[in-house]
Amino acid sequence: MKKDETPITRQKFIEELHRYRKGSVTRRHFLGVTGLGTAMAVLGGALPMLRPGPALAGDIGDRVILATWPNYHDVANFDLFRDQTGAAVQVNVFGSNEEMLAKLQAGGSGWDLFVPTNYTLTTYVEADLIEPLDLSKLPNYDAAAFEARFAEAGTVGGKLYAVPKNWGTTGMAWDSGKAKAPFTSWKEFFDVTRTDFSGRTIVHDYQLTTIGSALKYFGYSFNSVDPAELAEAEKLLIEVKPHLFAITSDYQPPMRNGDAWLTMCWTGEGKQLNRDLPEIRFALGKEGGEIWSDYYAIPKNAPHRDAAYALLNFLIDPQVNTREALAHGFPVADARVNAQLPAELLNDPILHPAAELLNALEFGAAATLTDPNRAELMARFKSA
Amino acid sequence: MRLYAFAVYAFLYLPIGIIALFSFSAGRNASQMQGFSTQWYGRALSNPFVLDALQTSALIAFASAVLASLFGTLAALALSGMKGRLRTLFDALIYIAVMIPGIVIGIATLIALVTVFDAVNPWLEGATGWRLSMGAGSLIAAHGLFTMSLVIILVRARIEGMDRALLEASADLGAGPLATFRQVTLPLLAPAILAGFLLSFTFSFDDFIIAFFVAGSETTLPIYIFSSIRRGVTPEINAIGTMVMAVSLLMLVIAQITLRRAEKPNPQ
Amino acid sequence: MAISQRMARAILLAPAGLWYAVLLVLPLIVVLVYSFGERGAAGGYAPAFTLAQYANLGARWTAFQNTLLLAPAGTLAALLIAYPLAYFLALRVSARWRTTLLVLVIVPFWTSILIRSYAWIFLLGGRGIPQLLSDLGLGDLRLINTPFAVLLGIVYGYLPLMVFPIYVSLEKLDKRLLEAAGDLGAPPWRSFLQITLPLSLPGVATGSMLVFILLMGEYLIPQMLGGGKVFFVGNALVDLFLQSRNWAFGSALAVTLVAIMLVTVTLYMRFLKRIGAARDDVGLM
Repeated sequence: MKKDETPITRQKFIEELHRYRKGSVTRRHFLGVTGLGTAMAVLGGALPMLRPGPALAGDIGDRVILATWPNYHDVANFDLFRDQTGAAVQVNVFGSNEEMLAKLQAGGSGWDLFVPTNYTLTTYVEADLIEPLDLSKLPNYDAAAFEARFAEAGTVGGKLYAVPKNWGTTGMAWDSGKAKAPFTSWKEFFDVTRTDFSGRTIVHDYQLTTIGSALKYFGYSFNSVDPAELAEAEKLLIEVKPHLFAITSDYQPPMRNGDAWLTMCWTGEGKQLNRDLPEIRFALGKEGGEIWSDYYAIPKNAPHRDAAYALLNFLIDPQVNTREALAHGFPVADARVNAQLPAELLNDPILHPAAELLNALEFGAAATLTDPNRAELMARFKSA
Repeated sequence: MRLYAFAVYAFLYLPIGIIALFSFSAGRNASQMQGFSTQWYGRALSNPFVLDALQTSALIAFASAVLASLFGTLAALALSGMKGRLRTLFDALIYIAVMIPGIVIGIATLIALVTVFDAVNPWLEGATGWRLSMGAGSLIAAHGLFTMSLVIILVRARIEGMDRALLEASADLGAGPLATFRQVTLPLLAPAILAGFLLSFTFSFDDFIIAFFVAGSETTLPIYIFSSIRRGVTPEINAIGTMVMAVSLLMLVIAQITLRRAEKPNPQ
Repeated sequence: MAISQRMARAILLAPAGLWYAVLLVLPLIVVLVYSFGERGAAGGYAPAFTLAQYANLGARWTAFQNTLLLAPAGTLAALLIAYPLAYFLALRVSARWRTTLLVLVIVPFWTSILIRSYAWIFLLGGRGIPQLLSDLGLGDLRLINTPFAVLLGIVYGYLPLMVFPIYVSLEKLDKRLLEAAGDLGAPPWRSFLQITLPLSLPGVATGSMLVFILLMGEYLIPQMLGGGKVFFVGNALVDLFLQSRNWAFGSALAVTLVAIMLVTVTLYMRFLKRIGAARDDVGLM
């Protein structure tokens, strides 16, 4: 925690608490401004029994390397982990599952823990790139706490390889100040991009959602690998390309500074944008789209294996995970965490959309990830 | 003319100014000025990953520059005045090494070494318990390819411009080949070797694309910066950039002063 | 004596030779072999002998087009900006200031190109220069993620590499030649065209070659300032190895890029030799 925080008045504290409750400031900001963070860190350091136990059992080394996605953690938790265990967390950020897979396939990634999405896990297991989890090292894992549909992909061939991190949907976020009407469908997404929003739209830098959403434009399955349907999606994407602002999975900066007005967007990031800039709205396409579940997994030959288990066990601790969820906003599949989250978050229409919208969504399929035609289509689109 | 030069310098320094300015921002946002603070410098300096990355980069750059200067100079000595097929072969290799894009070197080295390691490792592990993997070694070697070629070119040019009469005079005065080499050739080649060393160091220290593919789990400073930029830049990155530049500037000034001192008593 | 000299040569050349064999020849052979293979089932490489990868090169035509357009354009732009500066530094600045001003050209090089490009993202983005222009009433301009942004980025990144060789060749120029021309009544533009310019050609050739070679393999600047929309061959390569994981096609693309460069650069050097601008070592340094 920073040292230069000055104490604040009681009234200011109450104001900040209100803002925090309403969700207009992050937990990090709240703790920072109020000095509570410092107090907590001091307490945590001074009272050993406040620390979660097993992580401390042995010496786990001074570092652990986590490969994850942008804006997906509460940085203060990593500070806390270092204070507790002496292992500093190095975060490597990736924008696509393909890139993570490529890094692991090439060998020597050096990662200890990483965050793959549901549809990649069977591929990792088949390629012998991840190891079954040793549950005796994960006392904080409680299989019963997880909703089955968000946890089932973690078990491959009867063995548990991965535990759920967060789930979410992929929709669209836009600047409502620039739009004539709210977006409700992928059809509008691509049509408006070619007209009013020309030069202002961002699509993801990986094939699953970019091609999947283009398929949805025509009402096809998000996971389609049918050559004729893919050809139509390609035609649409190539047509739209000159009207795009960028092809990137790191869309928050241009959305925040006003360069971009519309983007494909994961739930939690939509929530983050909407929380800081209320004029940015989030919606799902009514044709459907993606629902996903991210997992934690440990690569084979992780250089700091003990630290990897310690960090994983730490991150699925309900208290810690609650703070994570408060910071990044993505929905959690762990009932123990949901019991602690404020009702506003659990009833939030962005994070927990209405059932009829949710039912139209599809989980990405393993075949979608490995399909060579989709991979090449995306590469052609980007280099067009 | 003067105005034009001024404009070009402004162009060169505009981004640098922005980096330095934002490094003093009090807020978290790296592209917006919010108050004044030096906290990011403290953070950068107390961040173990920044220090590690800096150390890794410096070590790799130093090692590859030393190897490149040594082997490059040896090769240049052998190649000067040499004719025939071997010379043609080496000329072609040097030419290709300098010309091939870094990105191709990175990718090609990665797949070649991974293939070789996969073939060798089972045997090696059985025999010694060791495994080969991508890391600092492969990166030093890959950087060395380009920088060694650079050194050969620089040193060879110097040898060819060297006054042969000096060598003959030394031999006439009864000095053996080794003594001539130590007392005449080496001092004459020193500036070229030094230039080659510095260029090699700089190249390796700043390289991103080769390291991106070949570094395995090692994190060099450019790789750390690239990863941080994706994570959403904080002014910490700006502070690192400003510090690296300030240190380089300082080293440059010191080098200038030492060179001037060294030059004065012994003008060439 | 002859034999021992041979031995000595062999020993001196051995480390460099080994280096070239393992890190240049071997990787190039592997890439060549891979380029005739196929994509593995889950990505990567599968052995085969097919020309399919080469037949598919047309699918990256735009990337080649961008590279072959923007690399020469960037080289030319850098040359046009660098030449007057080099001229100024070599001929118009007092010796006292010259070193300082020269050093000031390299200093930006000491900050990572990544960080400098990031500064350009801000400068060219909506809150940077376009905002300034629109505040001045100069209309709504979009800069970031355009070919112009990429061009600006590469000129910025490689300008010093152009300034130095030109400066070196201009600095060697015997100033008495210019004075003599002036005494003989030649107007300044004539002595520039007939004396200065021809004598500085080796520097121009070296600088252009250096910048061109680096631009042909550029990845970072299009990636950062082009928003994933302005694709170079370098970007297509990274994409093939890190996203679509088609190593075979990526290898074919790499082989093609290297072939194109070998041909262009060799032709360029022939041309330079013919017009007499090249010293023997020019193409290399």
